[in-house]
Parts: sequence; C-alpha cells; structure tokens
Amino acid sequence: MAGRAAAEGIRKAIALVNSVADEAGDEEITPTEIAEAIRDCLELSEVDEVPNVRRYLGEALDAVSDGMPADFVAMTLYAALGALREGTPH
Amino acid sequence: MAAPHRVQALPGGARLVVESMPERHSTSVVLMFAGGSRLEDDRLGGVSHFIEHLYFKGTRRRPSSKEIADAIEGVGGFINASTDKELTAYWARVPSEHMNLGVDVLFDIVANSRLDPVDVEKERMVILDELRMYQDQPQEMVQNLFEELIWPGHPLGRDIAGTEESVSRLSRDDILEYADAHYRLPNLVVGAAGSLDVEQTVEGVAKSLSLRADMDGAVSPSAPAPLTGPRVLVRRRETEQAHICLGARALSYMHPDRYALDLLNTVLGEGMSSRLFLNIRERLSLAYDVHSFTQKHRDTGYLGVYIGVDPKKAVDAVNAVLVELRGLGETEVSADELARAKEFTKGRLRLELETTNGVAFWLTYQELLLGEIKTIEEELTLVDAVTASDLKRVADQVLSGPLQMSVIGPFARDSGFRLAIGA
Repeated sequence: MAGRAAAEGIRKAIALVNSVADEAGDEEITPTEIAEAIRDCLELSEVDEVPNVRRYLGEALDAVSDGMPADFVAMTLYAALGALREGTPH
Repeated sequence: MAAPHRVQALPGGARLVVESMPERHSTSVVLMFAGGSRLEDDRLGGVSHFIEHLYFKGTRRRPSSKEIADAIEGVGGFINASTDKELTAYWARVPSEHMNLGVDVLFDIVANSRLDPVDVEKERMVILDELRMYQDQPQEMVQNLFEELIWPGHPLGRDIAGTEESVSRLSRDDILEYADAHYRLPNLVVGAAGSLDVEQTVEGVAKSLSLRADMDGAVSPSAPAPLTGPRVLVRRRETEQAHICLGARALSYMHPDRYALDLLNTVLGEGMSSRLFLNIRERLSLAYDVHSFTQKHRDTGYLGVYIGVDPKKAVDAVNAVLVELRGLGETEVSADELARAKEFTKGRLRLELETTNGVAFWLTYQELLLGEIKTIEEELTLVDAVTASDLKRVADQVLSGPLQMSVIGPFARDSGFRLAIGA
C-alpha cells in the first residue's frame, strides 16, 4: 500500500471514531482528539501521492468540526484509506 | 436451415409469431402491446400499469377476477401480465389442448374489460399500497432513484407504476381514453409457442382479433435529453445498510454493440465469478451484495452497479467499484475471462428458452421491439463474434459519459459521494 505511515495514521483516526460510534472504552474520546489524529495525517506528504486522499481527510476534518455523526466521519476516513489502497497496484 | 418460427401478418395490422415445440406438454400465448409507461406524460403517469391491473377485474363474459382466474386455473394453467417501459404483456400458459381457451381469455380481458367504476377505485388503493411498499424496499427504491438520474424529467426515469400523485388523480375517463388509444391491432404482436398446430393457431388467433384496427392518436416516444454532468442523489434513511446504484448511460437494444455490452456486464458483475464479486466482496470484503446490470430501450440504456454495504464503508466501496469500472476501459479482458463470459451468456439464453413461455416471450419481444427475429443460433453466433477489443471500446465509450449515483442510507451529507464521482 502506498503511504504506509499515512495508512497507519488514518487507521488510528478510524479507531478513535469507531470507539465513539460504538460507545466503547473507559475514557471518553473528544472531537478534539479525533481532529488531532486527522491533522497528523494531513501533515504527511504521503497523502499527496495518491489522488483524493487529502480531500477525503479534509472532508473528515470538516465533518468533525461540524459535529457530524461519528459513522459519517468514519465513512470519510475509510474512503481515504481505500484511496490509498487503490493507489497501489493489486 | 429454415427458421423454426413463423411470422404471420394478421388482419388489422397485428402480427403473430408462432413456433411449434412438439415435444412439450404446454403452449404459451403472449399478447404484447407496444407502449408501456414511456408513452405517458406526468399527468398520466402509471396509467398503463393501472390498466393492466384493471383488465383482470372482470369482462362482460367473465364478470369477476375469480371467473377469469378459474377459466385458466381450472385447466391447470397460469395467467399473468406485466407492464414495462416500452411494452405491456398479457400471457397464459396452458396444457396444449387448451390453447384456444388461453387465446380466448387473453383477448377477452384486453378487448371486453368492464372497467367498472367500483373496481377502478378498489384497484387505485391496491396500486397506492404497492407504491408505498416500494418505499420500504430500499434495494428497489435506489434503482428507481438511479433511473430518475439517468433520465431526468423523462418518462423513462419515472416508476412504471407512476407516482402517488398521478395514480390518485387518474380518472376512469383517462383510463378508458388511454386504453382505447393504445390497445389497437397495429400495436399488437401475438406470440405462441408449444405443442401446437401452426395453421390452426393462425386461424384461431385471427378469429379472436376484436380490437380496433385504426391508429388514431398514436404517440411517438420522445428521446431523453443528453446528461449534463455527473450527479449524486442521497435519500437519507436510517437503514442498517447503505444501498447504492451507480452507472452511466449505455446502449439501446438496437445498437450493434449490445452483445459486447452484455458480455462486459457479465465480466463486471454477473455471478460469483465476476470481477465485482471477486474483488469487492471476496478480496476486499467491502460489500455483501455487489452486482452489475443493464437496461436497454429503443434509443438509450444504461450500465449500472448495485452495492449493498455497511454505511461506514459506503464511499470506500464506491471508489473500489470505480477502480473496476475504469479497469475495463484501460485493459482488454483476458481470452479466458471473455470465453467464460460468452459461455455464461450463451448458457443463460439456452436455459431461458427451455420453456414454452420463454420461447413465446423471446419471439414476441423481438418482433415487437426489434422488428425482426433472430434464431438462437444467429444470436449465439453474434455473441461468439465479440472480441476483447470490442469490450474495451464499449467500456471506454460508456464510461466516458457522466456517472450518476443514487444512495439510500443514514447519510447527512453527500460530499464523500460527490467527491468519488467528481459531481
């Protein structure tokens, strides 16, 4: 997969979002933490190596800022992860 | 080799297509009328479908639906009808010795229906329930929304059954007027297949023709306007699964490349050995149900993909499908993959033509819509003649058009979907 570090960063953000969506875990995850995880990904130059990854991450960040449901944020992050996968020859 | 079927012109401009299948026990008869929901304007939306329902409510000789059903079921037969966008068909399958009964009942319902005002109101309620039922079936509904996108503002983009508004508004006079204009002999092709005597069938059908022969008021279908760009339509519903249809306008059933399109569809998404199934479901585990399909009309058509997916994976699945679509236009399919698609297509056609009903519909459909009938051997030869480069060319042509996507699911925004197809 192209952008291994970016993929790991996106997976981390997805895990945070999913724990909110599933209401799992002892500690409460805040939108700020999710936004931080997404911003970390955006700082990686790898996200520009594959079309649309930066745009999906930007959409996800907007969705967090706008208070959209966690599932919607997760969907957008999965799309970014998928775009990375598709940037790699099968 | 002589064709196994015979086409016979009938009085009044109707046509009969008949094929003897002497080893069968049944005979199937189809009355197929050109028209369907495509000819309806917004005000009359659903009238063809409404008429089809009403014709089973009673005739002057068989005054109730029970008497119509008893006539055919009393000999172990089946009777039914369907409305499509470009045709309406009434059919009966009966033990062969009762073929004349089948012909008689079918002509009775299309020519002598009572269209009782009480039945009109009762059936209106049934159809409105049917329309509401579709609202609870997102897999059906998402395809209707997709067709709205593919043919915006055109009767082809409207549900065959009409809308709640149009069905509520249709009057009995509207129905009588529409039926009178369209149920005429020049619009009719009769098909018969089974263990029958061809000469007796011609004679029996010719005697039964009791519809009007002239064609006053016939309407020519209008062509849909070109699409202006990619579009996404999201209908928010709190469903467990997201239901998605995406695709592009494709070819008509008159187009010489239609065989290549069908093979392309088979390679892409028909069956468990298709690319979509193997890659989206088996390799990426992104969707439980993913398949492709085509629809063809006289001057237009589409190639579509359906995805049933966890809402969180919806955009990812769309992107993965887009990769498969793009791949078809970039690289020729392998000889092995093409050969498998051909065998699949030819095998399905042969299976379809095992029954008398299958043959009667196949012949009637071709005569009515294409104006000529190909034998199964001719059809299989055309499938065999398609090359990998034909598939690539057709994929390239179809996928260069603007993509359209309908979505039903718990989505508050459409931005991810729009980004996926550049809408």
